[in-house]
Amino acid sequence: MPAAAEINEPLIREYITRAVSDVFKTMLGRVPAFVGSTPQPTGVDAPATPNSSRRLYVVGTVGFIGEVNGLIYLYLEEPFARLCTRQLLGMSDAELEASGDEVINDAIGELTNMTVGGFKNGLCDAGYPCKLTIPSILRGSNFSIEPISSASRYTYTFDSGGHKVVADILLKAGD
Amino acid sequence: MRYKILTVDDSKTVRIIVKKAFKTYDCDILEAGNGVEGLALAAKDMPDLILLDITMPVMDGVEMLTKLKADPQLKGIPVIMLTAEGGRDNVLKIAKIGVRDYLVKPFKEEALIEKAGRVIDLKPLSEQPAKAKSIYDSADILIVEDKPVIIQQIQEGLKHTPWKVQGVSTQGEALDFCNKTPPDLMLMSLSLPEEGAFTLFRLMRTNVKTKYTPIFALVVKTEVGQQQQAQTVGFSAIITKPIDIGELESKMCKAMSLDTSQRYFSHEAGFLIMRLPENCSPSVVAEVSNYLKAKVSEAVDAGHARMVIDIHELKTLHMGVIKLLFQTMQTCRELTLQFALVGNAHIITECKGFEDTRNWVFYSTVEEAKANLGKGTAASPQLATA
Repeated sequence: MPAAAEINEPLIREYITRAVSDVFKTMLGRVPAFVGSTPQPTGVDAPATPNSSRRLYVVGTVGFIGEVNGLIYLYLEEPFARLCTRQLLGMSDAELEASGDEVINDAIGELTNMTVGGFKNGLCDAGYPCKLTIPSILRGSNFSIEPISSASRYTYTFDSGGHKVVADILLKAGD
Repeated sequence: MRYKILTVDDSKTVRIIVKKAFKTYDCDILEAGNGVEGLALAAKDMPDLILLDITMPVMDGVEMLTKLKADPQLKGIPVIMLTAEGGRDNVLKIAKIGVRDYLVKPFKEEALIEKAGRVIDLKPLSEQPAKAKSIYDSADILIVEDKPVIIQQIQEGLKHTPWKVQGVSTQGEALDFCNKTPPDLMLMSLSLPEEGAFTLFRLMRTNVKTKYTPIFALVVKTEVGQQQQAQTVGFSAIITKPIDIGELESKMCKAMSLDTSQRYFSHEAGFLIMRLPENCSPSVVAEVSNYLKAKVSEAVDAGHARMVIDIHELKTLHMGVIKLLFQTMQTCRELTLQFALVGNAHIITECKGFEDTRNWVFYSTVEEAKANLGKGTAASPQLATA
């Protein structure tokens, strides 16, 4: 096993930026731009995610467990989630409409899985072996996700052709 | 042979992407949502390849792989991991259980096809399997040659065809071209630096999209060693420089399995017309000869009872052409088809010079031949009874 590098904010930012870029570029032909980060010290309450508006969001979640444990939430506004799904599966609007929300949930779950996979593979190669969990999806327009007090939180925003993608990372060091 | 590929992934999205990726290839895609379903389908259908995810509910990919490799019936099925679980240690650990390849998500469909193509002999589905391509259909031809004058010469020589003939001068350009538009046929100069043509040839043969593309070697006539090497490697044909364009075109048609009969045979108002070109090389004679019987039978079947054999464009009469004409007349007789010959003054004079052809009667134009065949006054058996 390689010597473990220190998991600091620049490393996390580097891994998540690379992972989001790889997934959006490879699977959707989009090149997302890093907009900004909101590093949160342990235990802060309000996440810097767009939960205050009434817009409908589709949020994919995948965790990783091992030497380092954590969860990543990927926030996409619902119209952008639809657009990504159509591009990913080569579907028309009408076909997607007929298929229902389940297809969108599955597609965003898989995009999240790939993104978190890319992020955690960076951690593995940095000396923190861990495994992915099964994705889940959260849908809604007015919710907030709050970490437990021992978790560190890092929130990063990306822009993909005018659409916002937010990666909300919760990290808990292994016991 | 139609291959069976089993995709085992809990994500329907991934399964749809896999199906989409293989849509244009001659294979069936089977789907399973977890390791238990995957093992059951593998035992039932014996797929030729399994694409396996790792993180799945019920039974994950590592457990399924372990069970698969422990089963004497199933252990021979090749497995490619298709998973977001990367990381050096993970990959090495799983590779030890026995996988043929490992593709980390996110992935491009082309990368998946390429990896699958290394395991099974994937063949692209023909877009129009029922209809043979003809000489009048378009085709993409790529010339890889570092001498622009050769590219120009070939383009000029083939400009009467509907083919799009494009040239590049390096391996890199050729690879880019093939990734965007896999050509119908390639011509590669063996004089590319550092044996570039042989390297490129190998790359083309490992790429699913160009695995079956005919590839011709362009080589100087005196470079016998290179010609032998090209034959050993498996080039579809060797074209020597200086290039005989007619011969090249003929070989290209053959390699692309083009129906060239329309060049020589046509139907005009109840008549079958066979027209020989100005230069009737041995390959042209062979081509016409191959089509002859089928075309005459087809005409008889369609109700045509008369045929015009038009050789007025022909410059020189040689034994190959004479034999072909005898074969044509014989075929007509067998199928009781009336026929008449059309020739130019030079050919008529040449025919008078041979014992076997001196009694042949020619008309000056196709119209004249048709008119006389219509009256029943032409094509009396003695026309061609030599």
